Amino acid sequence: MTMINDLDRFERVKKSGSIHYAMEAKKCIADIKDEVHSQLSSMEYFYDIMENIIHEPESSDTEEKVIASMCIHVPVELIYAAGARPVRVCGGAYATDQVGADFLPAKTCPMVKSTAGALYLGLLPGRVKPKLVVNPSSCDQKKKLGEVVSGFDDEFYLLELPPNKDTEESREYWHRVVKRFAKKLESVTGKRITRRNLKKAIKLVSTAQGRYRHFHKLRSQAPVIFGKDAILITNAFFFDDLARWTEKLDELNREMELRIEKKKHVVHENAPRILLTGSPAIFPNLKLPILIEKMGGLVACEEYCSSSRMLTDSIAVDEWFLYDMIPAIADRYLKPSTCPNFSPNEDRIRKILSMIKEFNIDGVVYQSFTGCQLYDMESITVGKAMDEINMPTLYLESDYNPDDSGQLITRVEAFLESVKNK
Amino acid sequence: MKRIKQYIDQANLSRFRTYFQILAFVVIVYGGYLGINIGDKTPAFACPYSPGSSGTCYLVAVQHGLHLEWSSLFGFRGLALLTGLGTFVLFFVVFNKAWCGFVCPFGTLQDWITKLRKFFGFRFSRYDEASFKKLKIIKYVFLVLLILIPLAMSNSFFGLPKVSDDMSAPFCQICPGRTIAPLLVGDTSEIFVDFTNKTTMVMSVLGLIFTALFFVGSFFKKRFFCFFCPMSALQYMFSKVGVLRLTKNGDNCTRCGNCSRVCDMGIASIADDIVSTNAVVDDCMMCFKCVEACPEPDCLDVKVFKGNIFSSTSEGFFKRYGESELADQSKK
Repeated sequence: MTMINDLDRFERVKKSGSIHYAMEAKKCIADIKDEVHSQLSSMEYFYDIMENIIHEPESSDTEEKVIASMCIHVPVELIYAAGARPVRVCGGAYATDQVGADFLPAKTCPMVKSTAGALYLGLLPGRVKPKLVVNPSSCDQKKKLGEVVSGFDDEFYLLELPPNKDTEESREYWHRVVKRFAKKLESVTGKRITRRNLKKAIKLVSTAQGRYRHFHKLRSQAPVIFGKDAILITNAFFFDDLARWTEKLDELNREMELRIEKKKHVVHENAPRILLTGSPAIFPNLKLPILIEKMGGLVACEEYCSSSRMLTDSIAVDEWFLYDMIPAIADRYLKPSTCPNFSPNEDRIRKILSMIKEFNIDGVVYQSFTGCQLYDMESITVGKAMDEINMPTLYLESDYNPDDSGQLITRVEAFLESVKNK
Repeated sequence: MKRIKQYIDQANLSRFRTYFQILAFVVIVYGGYLGINIGDKTPAFACPYSPGSSGTCYLVAVQHGLHLEWSSLFGFRGLALLTGLGTFVLFFVVFNKAWCGFVCPFGTLQDWITKLRKFFGFRFSRYDEASFKKLKIIKYVFLVLLILIPLAMSNSFFGLPKVSDDMSAPFCQICPGRTIAPLLVGDTSEIFVDFTNKTTMVMSVLGLIFTALFFVGSFFKKRFFCFFCPMSALQYMFSKVGVLRLTKNGDNCTRCGNCSRVCDMGIASIADDIVSTNAVVDDCMMCFKCVEACPEPDCLDVKVFKGNIFSSTSEGFFKRYGESELADQSKK
């Protein structure tokens, strides 16, 4: 009897969850298209797939194997080589955040709660059913999540990320972890990772990264696209078919080049140029960038793990054999990362400083999710570095609850005013 | 001008280097037969023990030149040594350590052995950090010895007896170049054990051991011998005044480690050091693979005096490492 009731309840929660999630997606896209709008025709593709993020696909490819990842430290090249498709399942929906809150401690960060809720209800991007969920130990909450939700259908795999990336020991450790992960993938998908398919996978991802770098560079040259759109594009990278994503980004790049030539800008020359950093903006929780741009600012660039941190670093292989390709992949996911999981993390500050220079930034907005210890702690060191160069910085703590928008508006508005008057 | 620079930045320098090395190899190893003479101050292993060599390694001149008594060392012969050194330095500073990466025939030979290993698909080995730091001292020990031993043959140090003349040109006696260079022109006369006396026996056996190590070592470790080469140590003393330079702009560096992981010598500081401008360290051979592997614009630059001639760019990086198979993907 109770079983049936539980099942019944689950179905009800799943139904209302999916309706709310779909509504949030729709609202986010509507907000992006509201008033201030990039009006780039190549953006339509991205608006479309994001709006339908949890729609049931019309024809589902039953052969397709999906490996879910929860972090940028999961080597996607290995997943492609093993014949599967990586989908990053970090959640941004408030609907699933509330579901996750049912079985996770109250002070858990909303992203982890949202991810857990989405996994529980099966509301992942593209409604995929992953063969394996990879959770790197990049923060304690993600690390422990695998145990807490062990009752779910999905198999969890802990990818042991070292807490330091500078020492030889941690590098060796990580190399071995990645090697073991490759073996695990082979056993899950039943396909061997070979020299040929791994090289192909590296080139596939590298091509996408090359195009993203170009996109990044175009953004630094002139304000021809809003930051909210840029964040949407990198969020599409989470689950889209990579070759198609690359193609669409290419189209957008060409449109942006044309705009730069014609000097068709989306904002006024003196609009404050903002750098976003801290806890990532994950669709549909783009309230911060949308708000900043609605108030007359421009999100010129982001140092987010849902954005530039995920895509700018790339692999250099010296000898195209498995013995060098796998360590090369491992290095790419460890050494250049600016994840606050690492200590020391000077590199993140250096990265932000160099972005400030490259993108001619007027102010920094640092977001920290309620319950996110790592970003919260690092706001201190980053804040100090910003003080040293007299960079106006706004620290915000927020979560996925839409209720705090009133307070956010006041603070963002005041901040943009102060940046303008500087 | 800008377009030429862009073309060069996106070029495959390693391929150019491979061809250049073949040319330099032929000129140095076989040039003697063609009447080419590049003198006896060559900052690379041009071995006079081979009849085909078009030049002479400067280390030979150093060892013979220092076979002097104190009185003449501080006289005119000492002056001749200084002018010799001056000539060597003039030769050297033009290309700086690129002599090792582009010219030295024994560097080239090791690169070819590496190609052979790749053909068989064997993995390469690397030193760990601690061994790297310890082993790199060996080349300085060799250098000091090859200076002191010739002096000790003509002079008595601290009242000790003079070193036997059998130790003449001590480094040449153990150098794998002496045995291999003649082999390259079909002359096997340097493969022997000299049974004259104990000293010659020990030295000639050491020479054979190092020759064997040269082949075995460089099969498993890229540029195995360069790490112990006293020429490399001598060159490094004058590297700072080099015309050709490799510089790093630490502000642009993400410390991704691409440069150090493609480095044949396994130099870690190229990635980790974000303070120094001069990126040439003692083990560097200026092959510029690091510049090719760097995706950050203007992070690593090859310069002639102050002008950039080859810079790291993201376009160049992705052309070399990323997109060669793009055509296949769009077909899919």
